[in-house]
Amino acid sequence: MNQPTSRTAAMELQPTAIEEAEVGEPAIEVRGLRKSFGPKEAVAGIDLEIAAGSLAGLVGPNGAGKTTSLSMMTGLLRPDAGQVLISGLDVWADPVAVKAVIGVVPAEARLFERLSGEEMLEYAGRLRGLPVAEARSRAAQLLDVLDLAADAKRLVADYSTGMRKKAALGCALIHNPPVLFLDEPLEGVDPVSADVIRRLLTRLAGSGSTVLFSSHVMELVEQVCDHVSIIDKGKIVATGTTQQVRGGKTLQQAFIDLVGPRATDEEGLSWLGSSSS
Amino acid sequence: MARLLVQLKLRLLTNALRSSTPAGTTFIISTFFALVVAVGGFYVLALFRGLSASVDLTTVIFTAFALGWLILPIFAFGLDGTLDPAALQLYPLRTRPLAAGLLAASATGAWPAANLLALLGVTVGLAAGGLGVLVALIAVPLQVLFCITLARLVTTSMARLLRSRRGKDLAIFLVIPIFALIELLGQVIPNAAAHGGITAASFAGVDAWMRWLPPGLAAHAIQDASHGHPGTAVARLALLAAVIIVLGWLWIRSLSRALVTADTSTGSSQLRGSALPLARYGLRGTVAARFWIYQRREPTSLVYWAMTAVIMAVVSASTILGPHKHPGVVIASAVVGAGFVGYFHANSVGLTGPPFIIEALALTSRRSLRAYFSGQNLALAVIAVPLLTAISFGLAAAIRHPMQAVPATAVALAGLGAALGLSNILTVTLAYPMTRRTGSPMRQAAPGYGSYTFGGMLANLVGVAVAVTPVILAAAFTSTAPAAVRTPALIICSAAYGLALARAGVQIAAREAEGRLPELCQTAIHSTI
Repeated sequence: MNQPTSRTAAMELQPTAIEEAEVGEPAIEVRGLRKSFGPKEAVAGIDLEIAAGSLAGLVGPNGAGKTTSLSMMTGLLRPDAGQVLISGLDVWADPVAVKAVIGVVPAEARLFERLSGEEMLEYAGRLRGLPVAEARSRAAQLLDVLDLAADAKRLVADYSTGMRKKAALGCALIHNPPVLFLDEPLEGVDPVSADVIRRLLTRLAGSGSTVLFSSHVMELVEQVCDHVSIIDKGKIVATGTTQQVRGGKTLQQAFIDLVGPRATDEEGLSWLGSSSS
Repeated sequence: MARLLVQLKLRLLTNALRSSTPAGTTFIISTFFALVVAVGGFYVLALFRGLSASVDLTTVIFTAFALGWLILPIFAFGLDGTLDPAALQLYPLRTRPLAAGLLAASATGAWPAANLLALLGVTVGLAAGGLGVLVALIAVPLQVLFCITLARLVTTSMARLLRSRRGKDLAIFLVIPIFALIELLGQVIPNAAAHGGITAASFAGVDAWMRWLPPGLAAHAIQDASHGHPGTAVARLALLAAVIIVLGWLWIRSLSRALVTADTSTGSSQLRGSALPLARYGLRGTVAARFWIYQRREPTSLVYWAMTAVIMAVVSASTILGPHKHPGVVIASAVVGAGFVGYFHANSVGLTGPPFIIEALALTSRRSLRAYFSGQNLALAVIAVPLLTAISFGLAAAIRHPMQAVPATAVALAGLGAALGLSNILTVTLAYPMTRRTGSPMRQAAPGYGSYTFGGMLANLVGVAVAVTPVILAAAFTSTAPAAVRTPALIICSAAYGLALARAGVQIAAREAEGRLPELCQTAIHSTI
């Protein structure tokens, strides 16, 4: 009974049914990407095209395959099948060229805990081949923009979740990548830090870079993304411009209609509330 | 309240037993060791009967148990939910009944029972006559109560620190004295005793000052009662009881503060200096800088270096303490030391953990991978070369064969080259995730990867032993050559040989890593920091 009309609506909104509004050459092309972990098929053949200069969102419920998909797109996880092209370069055939043009912010900020924020960004810059002076200069500027200048000399181990996310973003941006991938960039981030990150991403996309990020925060995706893809059970169930995917509703409602509501039985909580004893 | 907290402790213990996670395994191993300590402790204390230094030895054992209670709860802080007052901070509880409950909870479990049973060995070993046994039956529970109260005071007053990053670092550093103590009790003393280097008489008089510490008061009270001095025995027990009362009072005060004090675990200080050292020397220098910083700031790295030094000393200990001085043990120490340097760093991807992703995203070619591995080796060599050289010289001096330091240093240099090269290759071919298990401050191989750790250790020790054989032979064949010629020739040739081995390891590791970066990234992602 709970597999509703919304599921039917989801079928009607299959990616092929949505007219893509291309605004430029695709910066990210994904074709037939698949990945299984034992018997579980985490990604069941996804196809995706993100135009250059887009700020794209990848949304889906927990366990839908967002992180697995992003890991395969960035060369961190070998797919079972499929192809990923970044700016026309095959991630798995030419990883050297692809790594030079992408920046990645993983879901859990994976930073060197025993470096200071300043050392962390400089290290990321030097790993990317920036000259020492340039790496230091960019690190200082990014720390300033990310509101981390006052904590630049503190160990990353002592940073809060929001500070770690911002430092990870700084590491991903220091070589000015044309394509940026972010996995849940606002998870556990306070509103002030979230605003800093949001403004930076908007500015980046405005300057011609391509940004693809996964998120649970529908309001954020609706506000800042010009392209949205919804993933559920390892498959893209809808993709297109934010306007098209919303279909006249809020993105939150469109999302729930597509992936189906999760039934809950609240009968057992009759005691809850101040009017109960 | 006491009943509720004891029930909570029992529930936590039974849940740990039922758990299929590593916590369950930790619980079973811990209970097994508690049983060993109970039986072994009772047996050892009983063996002291009739010895002239029985009270001295008993005092040492009582003090060792107290030290165990002082240190181990810092390890078990995350394991025992009743140790952290923050867990009870939100409930409307009065301090005194809460303190009584927490004390009762502390006395519940395998280790308090093991402690009590083990120390009751004094009823056989030290106590004599009815009065002696009676005082022993009072002194032992008082000693256990002292240990529990001391542990509670320490964990409660350090609770905020122990929850913080610095507290966790402190717990890791405590591994060093514990490891050294295990090696001392398990290797050095039995070996020295077997060679006649240590006898029971060696402990006579060691309690000259320990007798005035609370554990010494308990032990000496039993002896006094056994020797017909009940007044002195009672006075000592009264003093011990007073110490426990003072500790209890301090603990209740500390608990009162802990229940209403905000957590400031996120506080931290600023680091001095700004530049990433060596960063101007290309990718190799940048990576070396990162590894160098980690060797200084990461407690696990410091523990590994300290453990290497302890292991090297232990290998030579039986000769140092025994009557026969075998000069060859200094070379054996160098081989084992180099082997362990390689072993401790043979899984650098797993040790680096998830941040390896940042490095992997920038390592785009075989050349950059070579720079990565050689940068890592450079940072390790900067510490390992002087450390192993200094220990070799120290051990050679200790066995009164100072010239033996020359071949030992030559072996250490060649062995380090082999160890670093091997560790690079194993990092790529035998990478495994490292995880932090409940109750253990040090990271270990993730469940299912224990054989990888053993394989890494075996490969390093055997590999280094084989690689240094030509150096040992060269040292043996040139032993009669003039030192002025032999010393520089041996050291320079061994260093060059070690460098060549390390370089070969870097080349092989870079070639292998080129096609395995995604798999290495997955190993890194599944590791915990």
